Amino acid sequence: MVNMIVCIKQVIDPEAPVSLFRIDPEAKRAIPPKGTPPVLSPFDENALEAAIRIKETEGGKITVISMGPRLAKPILRESLAVGADELILLEDEAFEDFDSYTTAYILATAIRKIGEYDLILCGRQASDTDAGQVGPIIAEILGIPSITVARKIEAGNGKVRVERLVSDGYQVIEIPMPALVTASFEVGILREASAVASVTAAKKPITTWKAEDLGVEPSAMGRSKLLELFMPEKESKCQMVEGETEEEAGANLALKLKESKII
Amino acid sequence: MSPPSASYLGVPGYAIFWVLFAIAFGLFAHRVYLLIRLMLLGQKENRFDSIGYRIIYMLVATFGQWCNLKNVSRKDRAGIAHAFMFWGFGLFLIGYFIFIGVRGGFGFSTLFVDGSFEKVYFSILDIAGLFVVTALIWAAIRRYIIKPERLKGQITAEAGVILLLVFSLMVFHFCVEGFDYAARDASVSWPPIGGAFASFLVDRGIAQGTLESVFKGFWWLHYAIILSFLVFIPRSKHLHILASFPNVAFKSSSPKGALKPVDLEKPETFGASKIQDFSWKQLLDLYACTVCGRCHAICPAQLSGKPLSPRELILNLKEHLLEVGPELLKVRGEAEASSANPGKALIGEVVTEDEIWACTTCRACQEVCPAYNEHIDKIIDLRRNLAMVSMSETVRDPLKNLRVRGHPWRGTTLARTDWAEGLDIKTLAEYDDVDLLYWVGCTEALEDRSIKVAQAVAKLLKLAGVNFGILGDEEICCGDPARRMGGDHIFQLQAQTNIELLQSYNVKKIVTACPHCFNTLKNEYPQFGGEFEVIHHTQFIADLIKQGRLKLTTGLEQTITYHDACYLGRHNDIYETPREVVKGIPQAKMVEMERNRKGSFCCGGGGGRMWLEERIGKRISEMRIDQVIEVKAQIVATACPYCLQMFEDAIKAKAAQESLTVMDIAEIVEGSVVH
Repeated sequence: MVNMIVCIKQVIDPEAPVSLFRIDPEAKRAIPPKGTPPVLSPFDENALEAAIRIKETEGGKITVISMGPRLAKPILRESLAVGADELILLEDEAFEDFDSYTTAYILATAIRKIGEYDLILCGRQASDTDAGQVGPIIAEILGIPSITVARKIEAGNGKVRVERLVSDGYQVIEIPMPALVTASFEVGILREASAVASVTAAKKPITTWKAEDLGVEPSAMGRSKLLELFMPEKESKCQMVEGETEEEAGANLALKLKESKII
Repeated sequence: MSPPSASYLGVPGYAIFWVLFAIAFGLFAHRVYLLIRLMLLGQKENRFDSIGYRIIYMLVATFGQWCNLKNVSRKDRAGIAHAFMFWGFGLFLIGYFIFIGVRGGFGFSTLFVDGSFEKVYFSILDIAGLFVVTALIWAAIRRYIIKPERLKGQITAEAGVILLLVFSLMVFHFCVEGFDYAARDASVSWPPIGGAFASFLVDRGIAQGTLESVFKGFWWLHYAIILSFLVFIPRSKHLHILASFPNVAFKSSSPKGALKPVDLEKPETFGASKIQDFSWKQLLDLYACTVCGRCHAICPAQLSGKPLSPRELILNLKEHLLEVGPELLKVRGEAEASSANPGKALIGEVVTEDEIWACTTCRACQEVCPAYNEHIDKIIDLRRNLAMVSMSETVRDPLKNLRVRGHPWRGTTLARTDWAEGLDIKTLAEYDDVDLLYWVGCTEALEDRSIKVAQAVAKLLKLAGVNFGILGDEEICCGDPARRMGGDHIFQLQAQTNIELLQSYNVKKIVTACPHCFNTLKNEYPQFGGEFEVIHHTQFIADLIKQGRLKLTTGLEQTITYHDACYLGRHNDIYETPREVVKGIPQAKMVEMERNRKGSFCCGGGGGRMWLEERIGKRISEMRIDQVIEVKAQIVATACPYCLQMFEDAIKAKAAQESLTVMDIAEIVEGSVVH
C-alpha cells in the first residue's frame, strides 16, 4: 500500500495559438486567452500516470491537490476519472501571482492537513513558468527526501526507486518513504478515462479549501519578487537560396552554410 | 383430377400430402423459430413508430420492387431480372396456394377445374414462367460467365442451388400443366404453353392412363421440390425472402445522417463487444442480406485496398451469431447471461480493428443495399466499444484533443477569430440582434487553407446585405468527429454545451459551410433538445442568387466538376442545389464524373478519418482525384472543408497543381460576383 499525493497545476494551454498569447505588463502575468480552456500541466499529468501505475501494482490511495485563484473543475475532475481517489482544490482569489516558495508552502500546508502519505508526486516543472522548484521546496519544508526529473518511478516496501535523468543517461536512486519525486514525461502519457469512469467521476464530490482553511497568510510570504515580465521581440530573416534544379539549390545552401561557418 | 385424392399402394394421397407437408413445414418452422430466438438475443430497440407509414413503404419497396429498381443503371441491370423473378414467383406462390393447397391438399378437387379462372390464371403463370426462366438464365450467365465484380467471392454453390431449384419449379410447372390438360383431353389454346404442350402430347397418341400417371408423378415431384425449397430457404441466403420484408418495414425513421445516442446513464458497457450487444434490428439485418455484393463493390475503403468490406462485415457477424447464438440461448435468463461471450472475440477475431477504423461513414453501402441494411450503425457500435470502453489508442489522441481544446485541430496556430480580422464581423457576444448565425466550424476557422472559405462566405453574406453574426471564441466543435470516432460521451458534452450557448443567444437560424456541422446541428442536436433551422452555405448562396442579392457577372472560363460531399449528398439528399450554383457561373463548363450524386466517391475524410492515419492500400482521396482528372476538369468544386483538405493534399501528391485546382463553391462564387 502506497498512499500518494499528486500536485497538479492548472496552466494556460501550451498548445494555444501563439497569436492569442498576451502579457499584462502591469499585473506582470500572462492573460488567459479567450476561447482556449486551461489544461493540466503536462508533466503533472505524467506524475499522475506514475501514481496510477504504482496504485495498480501496490494499491493505495491517490489524492490530487491543485492550487489557484479560479480553478476549472471539469479538467481537474479528469484526474478522478483516470484513477485518483480524491480531489482537493485549494481555491482562493488570494492564491495568485505566487513565487515558487509561496506555492510550495501552501501546498505543503495542505499536505500536512491531509496527514498520512507515503509518496508525493509532482511534475518536474510547470509548463508556464518552467521553474521546477516547487517540488524540492515542498520536500524541504516537510523535511523529506526528494528526487527530481524521474524517468521511472517504482514504490513499495517503504522505499521508492527512481531512475533519474542526467544529461548523458540516468542514475538509479533508492530512498525511503515518505519522499517526494518529480516526474518527467518518460514515466508515461496520462491514460484517457473510459466513458464509464468519466460519467461516474462527474458525480463524485470535491473538497475545496480556502486560505483560512489552511491558516495561511500568503501575501506575507514571498521570497522572490517578479520585476518584469515581457515577450521578447523576435525578428527572423529568411533568405531563400535558389538554384536551377533542386540539386543545385541544395548545393548552394550547403555552400552558404559553410560560408557563414555554420557547418 | 387431383392427385391427393387418389391412393398409392393403399396409402391415401391426402395422408402423403400432409405428412410431407408436416415434415417440411416442421423443418422450416424449427429453423425460423431458432433464427427468431437468436435475433431476440439482441438489445431492445424501438422501431415501431408510424406503423402505417412503415407498412406502406414496405409494400412499395418490396412488392413494387423499388428496392432493386432503384439501383438499375446502364452498368447493372440485374435489378430488372430480380423484379421479374419476384413478381413472377409471387404469382406462382398464389398459384401454389390455390391449386396445390386448396384444390389439392384441402380436397376441393373440382375447384376451378376447366373454368375460366383456371384458364386465365394458368395463362398468367405461363407468361410469368417465361419471364422467370429468362431472368434465371440471365442470372446464371451473369454469375457464372460474365462474373461481375460484385459477385466475385460469393457462395456460388448455394446460389447455383437456388437458381436450379427455381428453374426446376418452372420446368415442372409446364410439365404438370401439359400432362394435366393432356390427360383431361382438353384441347386448349390458352394457357399458351400448357395448351401447346398438351396438344403435342395428345398428338403423340399416348394412352390416357399413362398421361394421368405421368401427370401425377410430375405433380408430386413438383410438390416435393416446393417443399424442399421451403426447407432450404431459412438455411441459405434465400432467408432474405423472409427477412427483407420486416427489415424494410423496420428501417430507421430518424434522419439519415443521425446516429442514435448512447445512453450514458447506463454505464455497464458502451457499444458492442459481444454479438448480443447489438439490437434485434441490427441482427435482423444479418438475415436480410442477399449477398448481392453491391455494398462491397461501391465501398471506397474496399476499393482502395482496406480490409473492410460491408458485405463481409454483415456475413461474418451472421456466421458468428449462428455459431455462438445457441450457447447464448442456453444461458439466457441466468445471471451471467449479459456478459456471456463464448466463441471468437467479436472485436479482433470476427471483425478486425483495421476493418472497424477503415470506414469513412460515407453511406454508399446503405444507399445501394436492396435489403435496406444499415451497416454504419454496427461499425459505430464497434467503435463506441473501442473508444469508450477499451480506450483504443487509435482514437485516444484525437478524442482527448477535442475534449480538452474544444476542436480537433491540434497544433493550429490560429485563434477562432483570426480568419475574420479586418472583415468587420460582429460576434453574438457583442451584438446578438442578428437574423442569422454563421457557424464557421473548426476546420474553416483554424486551418490555413480553409480559412479562405470562411472569408469568402463572410464576404458574400456581407455583399448580399445579410444581417449575420458569428460565435467567435465561444464556438467549439459541433462534436461530429468525436461521435464518428465512437466517443459519444465527448460528443454529448459538446452538443449540450453548444445547445445551451445557442439557446442563450436565442439563435433560430444557422448557416454553415461544413456538411458535417450542417448534419450534426440539423439532424443530431434535436436528440438533445436543440432545434434550429440549419442551412448549408450552398443552399443559402443559391437562394441569394435567385433573389438577385448576389449577381454572378465575372466569367470563369474553366472546366469544373462538382464533387458530391457524402454528408451533404447521401446523408442529406442535397445534390442539385450546389450544381445550380456552379452552372450559373458565366463561361464555366460543367462536367460530371461517372460516380456522382448518390454514387459519388468519398474523399476519405469522413467518419473521423481526417484524424487517423491511412496506412493500408491506396489513398482514397487520390483515387477520387484520378476520377477528376479522367473527366479533364480544371477545377474540382467542393462544398465541404474535409473534401477541400483531402483534395489539396491529393493534388500535391499527384503533382497535378499545374493543371488542377480545388475550390469551395463559396470561393468560386466570390470570384464571380460584383464587388
